[in-house]
Amino acid sequence: MEAAEINLSEPGGRTRRARLIAVVALIAIVAYAATRPSNASSFSASGEPVALPTAGELTPLSADEFEGVLVGLRGTPVIVNVWASWCAPCRTEATLLERTWRAHGSEVVILGVASKDIAGSSRSFMDEFGVTYPNVFDASGDIRARLGLRGFPTTYVFGADGVLRTTIVGGLTEQRLAAVLEDVRG
Amino acid sequence: MIDVGLLASIAVVLIVPSVFVQPWPKAALAPGLIDVAGGALLAGIAIGRLTAVAIDDPRSLTSLSDLLIIRSGVEFWAGALAGLAWIGFHARRDNVAPTARLAAITTPALVAWASYEATCVLRDGCPGPVSRFGLRPEGLVQTMLPIGLMIAAAAVGAAAVLRWFHRRGLPDSQTFTLALLAVATIRSVASIWLPHIGSGLTRQHQTSIAVAVVALITFVVLRMRGQRHSRLVSS
Repeated sequence: MEAAEINLSEPGGRTRRARLIAVVALIAIVAYAATRPSNASSFSASGEPVALPTAGELTPLSADEFEGVLVGLRGTPVIVNVWASWCAPCRTEATLLERTWRAHGSEVVILGVASKDIAGSSRSFMDEFGVTYPNVFDASGDIRARLGLRGFPTTYVFGADGVLRTTIVGGLTEQRLAAVLEDVRG
Repeated sequence: MIDVGLLASIAVVLIVPSVFVQPWPKAALAPGLIDVAGGALLAGIAIGRLTAVAIDDPRSLTSLSDLLIIRSGVEFWAGALAGLAWIGFHARRDNVAPTARLAAITTPALVAWASYEATCVLRDGCPGPVSRFGLRPEGLVQTMLPIGLMIAAAAVGAAAVLRWFHRRGLPDSQTFTLALLAVATIRSVASIWLPHIGSGLTRQHQTSIAVAVVALITFVVLRMRGQRHSRLVSS
């Protein structure tokens, strides 16, 4: 049945003013979307190649060794996820990244970097979420400094050419991660 | 870390329906827009988030900081159910038939949902499958179909059609059920193209299909009952 209807703003002048304010607010939001600063970092790995740490283990590495791992992985897209056991969004990401590793581990390398954390806590975190992808432990904080980390978690996506394509600051959604995967595999 | 994109999206969700849906059905407004829509939105986010955490990471249920990271996941249909329950509860309290209130709020709710989906550009939440036509998300090389914008367009279309039907005498209960069917169908179809990890249907895809089936059956039953009632009255 048809319900009775009323205007939210009376008289008409107020309606027009409210709409004008709303339009200006929407334009401001769209302008923000169009001009917001890029998250891209200028990090580029260099040095001698280093073997990828054993999957499922938490291997302590220096920043130079970490760069060496990335150099050694050239030819394969790499997703580097910087996390910590105390970081709430990292808990959601861990299961998402594990699923990605199991489904696409032959095409894309997932490399976790536990940083600003206690090694025992990081290890427990990995056990809790059944993490089997390779992880390194950034004891000194040099890896996160070299990557230019701005917050936890952050995910760095490297193409097969070793070039950093995108940096995702904050929690990953499945849609965003899957889109990134499609992009680097394409 | 403040998620500015998500905050901007919520601002748009609050601005667009309250200003651009005119005139508002009176039944949707009493006892007050903020009480009904704002309460439903908060109840929906809270229950949706709790459900997502309970399913994905039950150990975080005792951690308020974990629960507050709503960007990590909100179960859509659990949240929608909580929002509808809130609206129904308030309608009863105000001596208004819950179906009348729910039907009246259908158009603004669909416009609010469309607004949220359209603001996917603020949250990097638009990407669909790789396509020659579409948007290039930040940092990616290939263009992708903007599935979020397509959902928004479909939701606005559904809102317009439902408003038209309701104004031409479609009963409240059928209007509301048809709205549920529209949302579930749009989500089910969109989920086919939404990028996801691994094979098989995602949880949100499965629940959307289930809700669509239940809404369709309910709508058919209501329609048949309505027609039988009309025949009895006319004879």
